[in-house]
Amino acid sequence: MLNVLTTLFPAEEFTLLALVLGMPLLGAIVNGLFGQRLGKQAVKTMALSAMGIAFLGAALTFLVLDREASHHPGHHVKLSWQAWQWMHASGTRDTTIPIELKFSVDALSGVMMLVITGVGFLIHLYASAYMEKDPAYWRFFAYLNLFVFSMLVLVLGDNLPVLFVGWEGVGLCSYLLIGFWYQHAPNAQAGKKAFIANRVGDFGLLVAMFLLVQYTGALDWNGIEAGSGSLVNQADQMQVHLWPIGGGQFQGFLSFLQPKNPLMITGATAVGLMLFLGCTGKSAQIPLYVWLPDAMAGPTPVSALIHAATMVTAGIYLVCRLSFVFVLSPFTMAVIACTGAATALFAATIALVQNDLKKVLAYSTVSQLGYMFLGVGVGAFTAGFFHVLTHAFFKACLFLGAGSVIHAMHARIHDDVKSQDMRYMGGLRKYMPYTFWTFGAATLAIIGFPLTSGFFSKDEILFKAFVNHPVNAAAAHMPAKAAAQLWQQPTWLGPVVWGMGLAAAVLTAFYMSRAFIMTFFGEFKGWTIGKAPAGAHDHHQDAHAHGDDDGDHHHEEDLKTPGPAPHESPWQMTVPLMVLATLSLAGGFLNPGLFASFFKDGKPPMEHWLEPVFEEAEKAIQVLPNAEAAHHKEYPLTFAAFAAFAVGSFVAYQFYIAKKGAPAKDMAEKAPGLYKLLLDKWRVDELYDAVIWNGTDALADTAVSVDQSFIDAIIARLTALVVAALGTVLRVFQNGVVHVYAGAMALGIVVIGWFVVVPRADVVVSHSASNADYVLDAAPGMGYGYRWTPEAGGKPQDEKFSPASTQLKLHLDADKTQVVKLEVQNAFGLTATKEITVKGPVTEKPEKPEKLGQVDLPSVNVGKN
Amino acid sequence: MITTNSYVLLSAILFTIGGIGFLVRRNVIVTLMSIEVMLNAVNLALVAFNRSMPKAHTGQLFAFFLIAAEAAEVAVGLAIVISIFRLRRSVRTDEADLLKN
Repeated sequence: MLNVLTTLFPAEEFTLLALVLGMPLLGAIVNGLFGQRLGKQAVKTMALSAMGIAFLGAALTFLVLDREASHHPGHHVKLSWQAWQWMHASGTRDTTIPIELKFSVDALSGVMMLVITGVGFLIHLYASAYMEKDPAYWRFFAYLNLFVFSMLVLVLGDNLPVLFVGWEGVGLCSYLLIGFWYQHAPNAQAGKKAFIANRVGDFGLLVAMFLLVQYTGALDWNGIEAGSGSLVNQADQMQVHLWPIGGGQFQGFLSFLQPKNPLMITGATAVGLMLFLGCTGKSAQIPLYVWLPDAMAGPTPVSALIHAATMVTAGIYLVCRLSFVFVLSPFTMAVIACTGAATALFAATIALVQNDLKKVLAYSTVSQLGYMFLGVGVGAFTAGFFHVLTHAFFKACLFLGAGSVIHAMHARIHDDVKSQDMRYMGGLRKYMPYTFWTFGAATLAIIGFPLTSGFFSKDEILFKAFVNHPVNAAAAHMPAKAAAQLWQQPTWLGPVVWGMGLAAAVLTAFYMSRAFIMTFFGEFKGWTIGKAPAGAHDHHQDAHAHGDDDGDHHHEEDLKTPGPAPHESPWQMTVPLMVLATLSLAGGFLNPGLFASFFKDGKPPMEHWLEPVFEEAEKAIQVLPNAEAAHHKEYPLTFAAFAAFAVGSFVAYQFYIAKKGAPAKDMAEKAPGLYKLLLDKWRVDELYDAVIWNGTDALADTAVSVDQSFIDAIIARLTALVVAALGTVLRVFQNGVVHVYAGAMALGIVVIGWFVVVPRADVVVSHSASNADYVLDAAPGMGYGYRWTPEAGGKPQDEKFSPASTQLKLHLDADKTQVVKLEVQNAFGLTATKEITVKGPVTEKPEKPEKLGQVDLPSVNVGKN
Repeated sequence: MITTNSYVLLSAILFTIGGIGFLVRRNVIVTLMSIEVMLNAVNLALVAFNRSMPKAHTGQLFAFFLIAAEAAEVAVGLAIVISIFRLRRSVRTDEADLLKN
C-alpha cells in the first residue's frame, strides 16, 4: 500500500498535497456559491466529506513521510509539490528571486496538517449539529472550509509569500466568522478589531520579508537557511541602523541628536523582531492580544477551531519554521521568551475573575499561547510545538464543551449573554454527563494533572525555560575581543521566565478549576433567569420547578418564558468531545520528556520525529550549567510544576466547593479596586482607545479642519471662481453662428500669413573667452537671405543678399564698440533691418579684481530701425 | 501663351470670391457652393504650378484627390443640410445656433 503511494507520489512531485488542499477549497466554493439552494443536508455532506477526505489525505501523507524519514534517518525529509511558478522578484545586485507556488510537507508541517484536518473534521462534525438552527448554515460552512484551506496553505507553503497568502486568508476567515452574526453590532465590531490588530502584525511580517530578500536573497525555507549567514554579518553597512535612521548623520543645529555610537542591530535581530511582531498579531501576544477575547463573539465552533486550536498557533508555527533565523539573535529570543512569559501571566490574572465562560477560555488561550512562545523563546522548539499539539486537543475540547453548555443554556433561557455567564450555571453535571466528563478531562489536561497531555507539555516548557540558554553562535567564529562585545542573554533570564511561567501555572490551575466547578458543580442557578425579581424568589422556592404557569405569579413585562431543563447535546456534538477528551488525556505520551530514558536513544517519539527540523537551530542552545546537571534538575522542576497544579486547584476547591465561593466574594469586597481592574481586563482596551483611537481621531479632526477651512474654503473656491469668470467671458464668443467661427478662422489665417510674409531680423552675439572674437548669428527664417554691414554707415560686405551668410565674425579690441547692421530679405522681396552695438572687452581694473568674472561678458544694445 | 502667373492670379481671385461668399452668405447651400469654389481655386493653382515641372505629376494627382474629397464633403454636407431643413424648416446658418454659449 505504501509502496504504491510512494511510486504514485514521488517526494519531488507529491501531488497528494493537491487533494489535501483542494478538498476544503472545493467545499468552500460549492457551499459558498450554491449552498443556499442546496439545503442543509447537502451543505453538511459537502463540508464534512471535504474535511474527511482532506484528513485521509493528510494521514496518508503522514504515513509516506514517516516511511521516508525512517529510510533516511537524521535527514530533514521533505515532500514537495510545485503547483506553478508564481512570479519573480528582483533582489539585490541584479539577482532575481523566483517565487513559486510551492507546497511542501515535513515533520513540522505534517503534524500541523494532521491537527488542522483532524481537529477540523471533528469541529465540522460538531458544528453540523451546533449550527442546526442557523439560517446562514451554508455561509458558515463555506467560511469554515475556506478557513481550513487557508490554514493548510499557511502551514504547507514552501516559502514566505505563500505562507503570507495563507496568513492573510486565515485572517480574512477569522474576520468573517467572528462577525458571523453581523446583525448584532458588537460582533461586527469585534471582527473589525481582530482584522485591524492583525494588520499591525502583518506589517511586521511584510517588513521581515523585505529584509530577508535584502539579506538572504531568498524567500523559500531552504534558500533562507542557505543565505542566513549574512544575517549575522557584523560589518557596519550590513547592520540595520536604527538611530540615526538609515545610518545618516545629524548636522548643524540637529547635531545634538547625533549619538556617540550609532544604534545598530544585526539583520538577524531585525528580521526576528519583525517576524515576531507578525506573530504577536496572529497569536495574540502582548501588545496585540486584545482582539482574541473579543473574537469570542463568533460561534463557539469557530472559537474552538480558529481561536484556540489552529489559527492562533500560526505564530508559533512560524517561529518553529524559521527557528534557524531566530536563534541567530539571542536578543530576539529573549524578547520572545519574555513576551511569552508576560502574556502567560498577564492573561491568567484576567481570567481569574471573568464570569463569562468563553471569556475565561479566551484569556486562558492567550495565556497558553504565551506558554508556547515562552517555550520557543528559550529554544525549546519541540516543547513549544508539542504544547501547540496538546493545546489543540484540550482547548478545542474545552471550547466545544463550553459550546455544548451554552447550547443547553441557550435552549433554556434564550439570552446570548446570560447563557454564557457561569453565575447562572452550576450543577450541570446531572444534566449533561458526557459534556461534564469530557470537559473535566480537558480541564485536568490544561491545569497539568499528572500524566495528562498538558502536564507533559507544560512541564517540558518550564523545565527547558529554567535550564536553556540561547547563545550567540556567531561568537564561535570571531576573534575573542569582537566576540566579547556581542550581546548575550544574562543567565538569570531563564529562571526569571521560569518563575513567571510557574506563577501562571498556579493561576491557570485556579481559574480553570473555578470555571469547571462553577459550571458543573453545586446547584443549577439558571432557574431564576426570566423569573420574578429576587424578592419573589424566596416565597416561591418550589414554584420554579413547575415552570411559571401558576396564575398568581406576577408576570412583569421583561420576563421571558424559561425553557426546559438543560439537556445533553446530540451525538454529533458529544462524539468529537469524547475523541478530543481522550486525546487530551493520552496525547502527552507522544512526548513524555520526563520518561525520555524509556525510549530508544533517550528521545520520546515527538522529539525524535521533529529532531531533523530543529537540528540546526538547537546548535545555538546551551544547557546550563551542563547537560548532566540539568538532567538532575528535571525531577525537582517537575515537582515544582506539580506543586503549581496542586496549589492552584486546591485553593479553587477550598474557595468554590468547600466554602461555596464565600472567600472569593470576601476578597473582591476587600480589594474592590483590584477586583474591578481585573474584571475590566486591566483596562488595556481603554488605554488603547485613549492613546491610539483618540490620537487617530485628533489627527483626523485636524486634517478635516485644515481641509474645510483652507483647501475647500480658499483653494477650491478660488479655482472655481477663476474658472467661472473665464467661462463667463469666453461664453460670449461662442454664439453658435457658423459664420462668426469662419470669420475668426479667416482672421487667424491672415495673422499667421502676416508672420510668414513679413521678415524679422534678429542677432545672437556669442563671445569666446579665449580670444577677443565675437560671433554674430542671424536668426533663421524661411527663404531668408542676409546682408551684413560690419560698420553701420559704411559699405555692406556684399551687394547681394545671400542665404549662406548667416554668421559674421568680428574681432574687437579692448574698450572698443562697433555698430553692426543686419539686413534680411525674404522670398517676397520684403526686407527688415537691425542694428546692434557690440562692445569689446573691458580692460581689467586692478583695484577691482573681484569683478573679473563679469568683464568678459559683452553688453549688447539693441536698437531697431 | 498664358503664363502661370495668370493662372495663379485667377486662382487667387476665385479663392477670394469663394471666401467672401462663405463668410457673407447665410444660405447653407450657397455656403457649400462657396467652399466648392475655394477648393477648385486650389485645384487650379495646383495644376498651374505643376506646369513648371513637366516630369512630375504631383500637382495633378493632388487635384484628383481633392476632387474626390470634394465629392465626399458635398455628400456629407448636403445630408446635413437636409436634416437641418427637416428640423428647422430653414437652411439659414444663423438660425442653426443650438451650440451657442
